[in-house]
Parts: sequence; structure tokens; C-alpha cells
Amino acid sequence: MININQIIKEMDLEGDPSKHRVVVAMSGGVDSSVTAALLVEAGYEVVGLTMQLYDYGKALQKKGACCAGSDINDARLVSSKLGIPHYVLNYESIFQDQVMNDFADSYLRGETPIPCVRCNQTVKFTDMFDRAKNLGASAMATGHYIRRKTKKGHLSLYTGVDPSKDQSYFLFATTKNQLEFVRFPLGLLTKDETRSIAKRHGLNVANKPDSQDICFVPEGKYAEVVRKLRPGSIEPGNIIDVNGNVLGKHNGVIDFTIGQRKGIGVGGRKGVDDNNSILYVIALDTQKNNVIVGPKNFLSCNKIKISDCNWLIDLINETEFRVLVKLRNSSQPVIGTIEVNFDKNLAYLTFDKPQFGVSTGQAAVFYNIKESSHILGGGWITEAPNKSADIQFYNA
Amino acid sequence: MKKKIYLDYNATVPLLKEVKNSLIDCMDVGPLNASSIHYYGRKGKEIIDIARTNIGELIKTNKNNIIFTGSATEAINLLFSNFDTIVVSSIEHLAVLSSSKSDHIISVNKDGIVNLNFLEFYLKKLTNNSKKILVSVMWVNNETGVIQPIEDVVEIAKNHGCLVHCDAAQALGKVKINLEEIELDFLTISGHKIGAPTGIGALIYNDKIHLKPQILGGGQEQGMRAGTENILGIKGFGEAAKFINNATENNYSEVKSLRNYFEDKIKTLSPETIIFGEKANRVANTILMALPKIPGDLALMKLDLESFSVSSGSACSSGKVSKSHVVSAMGYDNLATNSVRFSFPPNDAILNLENLITKKELDRLARCWSNL
Repeated sequence: MININQIIKEMDLEGDPSKHRVVVAMSGGVDSSVTAALLVEAGYEVVGLTMQLYDYGKALQKKGACCAGSDINDARLVSSKLGIPHYVLNYESIFQDQVMNDFADSYLRGETPIPCVRCNQTVKFTDMFDRAKNLGASAMATGHYIRRKTKKGHLSLYTGVDPSKDQSYFLFATTKNQLEFVRFPLGLLTKDETRSIAKRHGLNVANKPDSQDICFVPEGKYAEVVRKLRPGSIEPGNIIDVNGNVLGKHNGVIDFTIGQRKGIGVGGRKGVDDNNSILYVIALDTQKNNVIVGPKNFLSCNKIKISDCNWLIDLINETEFRVLVKLRNSSQPVIGTIEVNFDKNLAYLTFDKPQFGVSTGQAAVFYNIKESSHILGGGWITEAPNKSADIQFYNA
Repeated sequence: MKKKIYLDYNATVPLLKEVKNSLIDCMDVGPLNASSIHYYGRKGKEIIDIARTNIGELIKTNKNNIIFTGSATEAINLLFSNFDTIVVSSIEHLAVLSSSKSDHIISVNKDGIVNLNFLEFYLKKLTNNSKKILVSVMWVNNETGVIQPIEDVVEIAKNHGCLVHCDAAQALGKVKINLEEIELDFLTISGHKIGAPTGIGALIYNDKIHLKPQILGGGQEQGMRAGTENILGIKGFGEAAKFINNATENNYSEVKSLRNYFEDKIKTLSPETIIFGEKANRVANTILMALPKIPGDLALMKLDLESFSVSSGSACSSGKVSKSHVVSAMGYDNLATNSVRFSFPPNDAILNLENLITKKELDRLARCWSNL
């Protein structure tokens, strides 16, 4: 079990904890609630902040529902239990501009976006971060399972000790400057420990289920949200195979993601062997409004382009090196060779083994090949050509 | 914990000691359902009648014209449900703006005073189609404290054959309200703004005008608001009204001198501060101000962390701070998210009860403001 001195050490703030005001970004979930509880226990002057990001009632189309939903209320109840001040930040318009609009446009481009990273990058680690500084805080703590360590005088990010909860994929865009100010005390904990601390403090969120999916997308129905955000810009089109044959119709490319197998709406093909009869979405042609399907081998991708990279290591002389790379939060890292252009924040990554179903809009996060818990940085996948790129569609 | 300095009396006035003691006595009387026919029922009725009398005396109206509701908001909703066409000012409280669903909106000037010429012009245009029209203008604005020319509003409205409602939630206890001297058809008030508990409001209505109730049931409040009477709320409202009524005339001078002292300090320490409605006739206890570069929610948080309880005047129940529609309506759209309201006790009687706010603390508050 964690002891409080480890938390104080992890906080990396000089002198007595009572001399430091620490802002905790509280979502109303168990993780950020326990973060606040541990910091109160450690003796810091804790202030809780919760972001109001969108109109909850409108998002769920519930008439008369409060704009805030129950999570803000949970954060408030936890703060009250802990005896700390708690405030709500109205970031509805910033969130709409910087996260939701980007999310919709990304789908319209045929990509698969990760709004949680955009939110961390913009609203949370920019606006809330500034507010925490304005409130005279020494640091801002969040409930992420990730570790911030000083090695050889340099700040670095490491995966959390609980591999099943590691959130490094969502935090690759944390800049070195932000890293000076943010803290992640839960990086030391397992989820079970977090829940037992919540129980010990009598927090009402101790058994609250983890949040799933994207906060502003009810029941994972992202396409409905995109349709609401961009009415009129989504048109039906054809589902075609690699030979350009029309297999069916669709109601909008936003309903599909690269690598998708289920729910495409066209059956397998007759007269082909079993392995090749299963069809996957292999490309989204937003120009012609076509969804292109094909057998799995068409998804194979050898090399990707990564843009807007954020590096958490010192810029090194080598521009080509071996890395572990994660292409999805839930998948295991794979090995590849990266060529970096530090000046343009660009990188090209060649996989040792071809990868299947890589989608633009997702993040590629790099880990140290010698120490897989060490996060080197990451960026956005802007090109992920698979075999579909070689096909010419004369009829389509 | 540092002593909290409360300067948010426009949000709510702490329960007065006299009121609290009367409530404890009331709780000891027994089971009080005023609709029961037996001894306790009669006791309950008597308590309600005394409260009604006290409130009637405070605002000089027939006690039988008072309908108790759960809040001033409910009273407004009850009234508005009887009208299709409601003309409102742009600085009304959300209770009026939301429940009226009105798009007949009368602007205000830079000082936050309703534009009477525009009201006149608008009503002339509107009354051509002979519908029953209600004009609703607040007596005192909750954010700025600016007193509205309610006599003139009544005169103009009457000249055009309209009925008039006045939201007096912020006026009660801060200005003299005498319904014998002003021809209002409807007035709404709230108990907790004068030291009664929350959860009690009232609609004062002109009994010549037939209203339909919104809440149906056992016919309480002359059939206008069904539901077992909130005896403790009503008792508290009545006692608070009696307390205010017994206080001497012209009893705002001490509050005003504290407010002005603070305002002068602010002007000296941070001359860039904008005070809204400064040139207008304001109630003695309210200041709404803004610093051009400081968001209101930041100011609120920093002052709260320094133990000062103040308000942005526009927080929703979720706690998020939104743009002030009042500041926007006054033509300061760029400052609408910056405004912060400081509200002192509504009158000297309540100020002296508490005796909590000292000049030393106001000095510290002014310094905090200038260091935001």
C-alpha cells in the first residue's frame, strides 16, 4: 500500500506541503477524487477545479436536465467531504471550438480522431493550467495513471505502475513546459489501491464505474454527434470493392472507420476462399464519397507519416532510431524505425512487421526501446497508406 | 479556518435570530396542517393569518391579496401562465426572462435604467391589437442595485391599458414599498431576501383580475396554489416582515456609508475599475463592478480563497459562471464575463444585527481587488 511520503516525494515540491497550494483537476470520477484526497492527507492546500465542457442536458437530449450533469455534482460532494474549496470553470465555448469542432471535421476528412488528447492539449493543459497558475498554485495535479520523473536533471514521462490503467497514450502531447507544473500522483498506484483509498476516505465515488468512450458522445454513438454538429455536410454514397464494383449504399463516410469489419452492411462474397471473403473498410474516399472495402491484406501498412510531434526527450543528434510505438490506446506497442525531422516536428515510421487498420487522425506514441515505460513523445498520424492506395478505380 | 466575510446579501440574507427563534417556537406548537379542521389545524391557520397580516402591513396591501408560493420564481411563473403577451425589460431576472418566453423586450440605458421612451413607443405599437398585455419591470435590479422608475412604468403601462407586474424580490427591505401609493396589479416577493428561510415567496395580486392557478389540488391559498402550506416558511416570512416593518424609517444610511467607503477605496486603489450604474439611483447595499482584464470567475475564486464571499450575479445552479445579460444589456458586452457583485446587508437593522463587516475588512478586500 502506498504511504503518504511517497506521494509527497512524487509531488516534487520543495519544503512543507502546507506551504503549497495545489489545484486538482476534478472530473467527478474516482481517480481525480482520490488525487484530491491524497493531497489533502499529505497536507497541501488543495483547491478543486471542474470543467464544464458542454451542455449535458442538450448532449443527451434530456429536457430539463441540468447543463452540468451528475459528474460536477460528484466533484462538488467529494470536495465538500474533503473540506476543500471547489469551483466550476465554464469552458463550453472553448471546448466547442477546440475539441468538438475538430472532432467533427476530422471525421468528415475520413479520419478517426481522439478528442481526449485534444482536450488535454487545449482546454485542460492550457486554459485550466493558466487558471491554476492565476490562483497562485504551485502545481496542478490530475488523476492520470502516468509518472513524471526527474532523470539526470531532466523531466520525463513514464507509464503508470498499473499497466492496465496506463494513460500515456492520451498524454503524449504534454509539453516540457507543462510538465514543470503538472503532477500525477496516481502514477504510483494501481486502480484497486485507488478504489480502496476512496473507500477509506468515505468518498461517494468509490464504486463509480470508470468513464467509457468520449464524454460528449452518449452511448458511443459518435456519428449522431457529428451529424448534429455538421448538419447537411454528410451525404450518402457507395460502398465499393477493390475492383470498383458497387456493393451497396451508405449514409455517410463518417459511419465508418478504417479496419472496421462489423456493420458494414454488405455480406461476404461468393466464390472466394474463406480468408478473403471477410470484408474490411480499407479506405474512405471523402472526395467521391465512397467507402472502399476489401480483404484484410489490403489493410496492411508498412510506413506512416506523423505530424505535430511533441518530444519529451532532449533533441538528439541521431535522426533515425529504433522505437516502440503504440498506435491505439488499447493495443500493445510494436517495433519500428523512426526517421525524425525535429525542425518540422515530422517523423516517418517504418514498422518491422506490417500493421493492419492504421487510421489517420489517431496518435502514434513512442516509447524507449530499451526501457519501454519511458515515453519519448508522439504525434498525429497524417498518412497511413495501405494497399488500397495502389488501386485505381476507373469506374468509381 | 479564516473568518468568512459575507458580502452576498442580494443572494440571500442569513436567517434572522428573531425569525429563527419564532420558528423553533412554531415547531413546538405541534402537528400543523392548516387545512385540518381540528385544534392544530386552526392553530396552523392562525399562524398563516398572522404572517399574511405582517407582510400586508409591510407593503401596505390587503392581506387577502397575498398568495404564498414556494419562491418568487414560482409566483412569477404562476402569474405569467395567465398571459400570452408579456413586455419585459432586458435586465429582468431569469425568473422573468425565462418564464415569460417574451420577445417583447425593452432596452435599458448605459446606467441600467429602463428606457421609458422606448416602452411608450413599444406599447403604442403593441396595443393596436387589443390583446391583454402584461408589462413586467423589476423594482430593483439584483446585479447593479439600480432602482427602476417604477411609478413612470406604471403610468405609461396604464395609459395603454396594460396590466403591470413588478418583481420586487430585490426591493423588499431595501426601498419603501407602499402598494397604496402605486397602481401595480401584481407584485412578487421572496422571503429569504429579508431574513426568512428559503423556500417561501408570494404573489400579491389585484383581486379584480381573475387568475388561473398552475398547481391544482386541495385548493389551498384561495385555490391559487394547492399543496399543504409551508407553515415554517410562511411563519418565517411573516416574522421577517414584522422585523423590517418595526425598524425605523430611513434606515439605509449606515449601509450606504459602508458601501460608499468601500467604493471610494476601490476607486483609489484600482482606478481602472468600472462600477456599473454608478450614476444612477441605486439601493444602498449593492455594487457591481469589473476590472477590464480580470474574468469574473477568477476574481470570485481568488476572493473566496481570501475568505470573501461575493458573487458574479449570474452563476447557474451548476456553479458555472456565465455572461451577465444585465451588463450586456447596459452596453458593456466586453465586460459581461468580468462583473463581480458585492452586496451588503439590505438595511441598517440587519446590518446592526450582524455587525460583522468592519472597515478594516473592507480595506483588505479593496487591496485584494486591486491585486487580482
